[in-house]
Amino acid sequence: MAAPRASEMVATPTDGYPTATSSLQSDTEITIKSHLPSSGTPQIALQKKSHFEFLLRNLRQGLPERYTSQDASQPWLIYWTLHGFSILGAGLDDQTKKRTIETLLALQHPDGGFAGGPGQAAHLLPTYAAICAFAVVGRPGEGGGWDAIDRNKMYNFFMSLKQADGSFLVSHHGEVDVRGIYCLLVVATLLNLITPELLAGVPDFLATCQTYEGGFGNASFPGWAFGSDDTEATTPLSSPRDPTAPRPPLGEAHGGYTFCATASWVLLQPFIKLYHPPVPGNPLPEPKINTRALLRWCVQMQGLPIELGGFKGRTNKLVDGCYSWWVGGCVVLVETLLGLAAPHIAAGEEPADEHDEDSAKAWDDADDSLFNRRALQEYILCAGQHPAGGLRDKPPKPADAYHTLYCAAGLAAAQHRVVPSKAREKAVLLTWDPVQAHAKSGATYVSPSDVERETFEELRKQMFAHALSWSEEEGTTTYVGGAANRVNAAHPIFNLTITHADGILAHFYGQMPPSRYPPRGKK
Amino acid sequence: MSDLLADDSEWADVVPIRQYENVNPIAPIFYSEEYKDATDYFRGVVKTGEMSPRVLKLTERVIRMNPAHYTAWQHRYKTVMALQVSLEDELELMDEIATMFLKTYQVWHHRRLILTALNSVDAAARELVFLKTVLENDSKNYHTWSYRQWILVHFNDEERLWAGERPYVEELLEEDVRNNSAWHHRFFVVFSSGVRAGDEDREQTLRRELSFAKEKIALAPNNLSAWNYLRGALEHTHTPFTTVTAFVEPYTASEPPATDVVDLDNPLPSAGAQLPCVAALEFLADIYEEEGGEKTAKAVEIWKLLANEKDTMRKKYWEHRIRDALQKA
Repeated sequence: MAAPRASEMVATPTDGYPTATSSLQSDTEITIKSHLPSSGTPQIALQKKSHFEFLLRNLRQGLPERYTSQDASQPWLIYWTLHGFSILGAGLDDQTKKRTIETLLALQHPDGGFAGGPGQAAHLLPTYAAICAFAVVGRPGEGGGWDAIDRNKMYNFFMSLKQADGSFLVSHHGEVDVRGIYCLLVVATLLNLITPELLAGVPDFLATCQTYEGGFGNASFPGWAFGSDDTEATTPLSSPRDPTAPRPPLGEAHGGYTFCATASWVLLQPFIKLYHPPVPGNPLPEPKINTRALLRWCVQMQGLPIELGGFKGRTNKLVDGCYSWWVGGCVVLVETLLGLAAPHIAAGEEPADEHDEDSAKAWDDADDSLFNRRALQEYILCAGQHPAGGLRDKPPKPADAYHTLYCAAGLAAAQHRVVPSKAREKAVLLTWDPVQAHAKSGATYVSPSDVERETFEELRKQMFAHALSWSEEEGTTTYVGGAANRVNAAHPIFNLTITHADGILAHFYGQMPPSRYPPRGKK
Repeated sequence: MSDLLADDSEWADVVPIRQYENVNPIAPIFYSEEYKDATDYFRGVVKTGEMSPRVLKLTERVIRMNPAHYTAWQHRYKTVMALQVSLEDELELMDEIATMFLKTYQVWHHRRLILTALNSVDAAARELVFLKTVLENDSKNYHTWSYRQWILVHFNDEERLWAGERPYVEELLEEDVRNNSAWHHRFFVVFSSGVRAGDEDREQTLRRELSFAKEKIALAPNNLSAWNYLRGALEHTHTPFTTVTAFVEPYTASEPPATDVVDLDNPLPSAGAQLPCVAALEFLADIYEEEGGEKTAKAVEIWKLLANEKDTMRKKYWEHRIRDALQKA
């Protein structure tokens, strides 16, 4: 694949009216453009080895003093590094796994959840990072880490953070924001901690965080400060809640929050369907988001050819490699919500018989994605790679662990199309063992009635099957720079490899889902 | 320099706790001696639950070295409340720390906790002034904006808090019409957070906002922030996009129209405008799609132009819009 042509590169129009924003934009365009490989360079190679070595240095030698700012994010450093290895296709030796498990366990809080460092308070964000790192390095049994996670205490920790408007604090006395909610939902899903009481009000809260631009802000304000149509101000927090009062989003639409809110929304689909059925007179109206506006916002964040098609995190801000995942990776989630992500044929599946003739064509047809997958790869390869190893925001910034992971994961999202497969879901459901799933639950929750219990069991089953249904759509991979640039696919919701997500889910639900790659009956 | 707590007799009674005992951690950070010392003692006081004046000093010390240490903030907050120290003093110290560490979540959240405890509109009004100085240096700081919005809704005082916000936004957009944070703030003030005093006539308010957005679009037409605002105002009020057809059309042409007629409702692109404007083409296609029927074909035509020529980065998206519209038609 040839590098992008400079002739296509028209500068962002400034309409003869420069401002601080447009000047910064122009400077950035010049810098990015200068990092294009000289014309005639036929291939842009992913320097896997030097990125791998960059990450390995962090693990082996430790992190320099400037990483003190990440002292309260230690599990993140571990997750970014280890999952980075997985995306780049590198395995881990047993000794490294053992050390990692011991380190992670030192971060478990005595009252449940995980902390940013030993002796620190439990917090939803490091809890997500720790559990995802466990998914990479852990296993069942003695010394494997998984069974040393105190899920019961973790559930109680989660419930202790729950707020009346459906949101969660990130820690005791901490703030509310959708990152925390995403982290909580992922962990609760992976560890079989989902209950209706945990999820109550969460979709409504998320929906209120969507802004007029279509993306999501970081939180919303509970409506009880306002009368709905009444301009008389009521005393904050003392008046009874008016369900029609506005619950305004705080903060503008932003890539990180948009990913977190959208992934949460996708995870919550079974809950919304089972617990908010849209029937007349239902006291719980179905919470809704504007999915069309969300799609528009996501694709609008992709930069112009002169920005090499990298993604921005907000309107009129600069492209940054990390949004390759937060926004680029979000597009397939939105496609799923719009019903556009029905796969032709997912990996390991037989084409349906009645479509045998069409299927050949379907396999050829490469790309249904609604963002520019090739351009995003070009951005990551040309602008995202630091010459000394590791990936970055943009030139001339240094590489760091965070950007290395989110650029690599963004590259994965641009190379592979991973979508929910109905066939896979069906196969998973066929082997569903409700008794095991119930017995393995880590949550202390008792259904108030038999009817409710049935709905709850259905919820657990559906969330499990949905999580496992995400499969790579065959025939849709696109490797800019050639197949040597291939990285492993990431689960679009969890940001784990499919194998790691499958493994930890199967364990904590006590299930034995069928293999993804059954032997082919005919060839 | 040796001002380590380990050498300080004031701290002799506290047992410092090392971070990792019996674990050889993966990816260790090489802390400075001072940081290691302070956090060892911090873990010591967290363990005993000590809340005292010296703990305030200690948490400040940790925070100055690492403002993202949320546990230090948490313990500091508990100590401030337990000792009933002056919240005003705490806020004053926070002014300095916030200015140093603008991009840290915890800095802003701590202020919010202190403001909640203070429970005073006077303090909230002072906060708005302080935040203005912060935004002067970093006009798109996410946390600062989010916090400002929280102040407004939490204390919800029309006269003392809300009243200055729209003029403030106008000031900021005067300076940089592409500042999306300021646009979002305007939407927050005018549309998302209930009805402002003086804005009770919603039709009149919408007219004012449409004029405002149009005028800003005319100034620099390729500014997605302003188009998004126009779009948002119409959608929020369930006003058809066709309301602004006459305004949008001149921005979709290659040249500004040759006319001397000044239509105040529909300001024309500025002399320097680079036309046609992609955001206007998109808008016009949305207008046609909304009208439906025969107009759908005109929308399709624009989407094709965008896909193949004017906005090729989003080719797949524009093609999706064509499929979607034809399916519904």
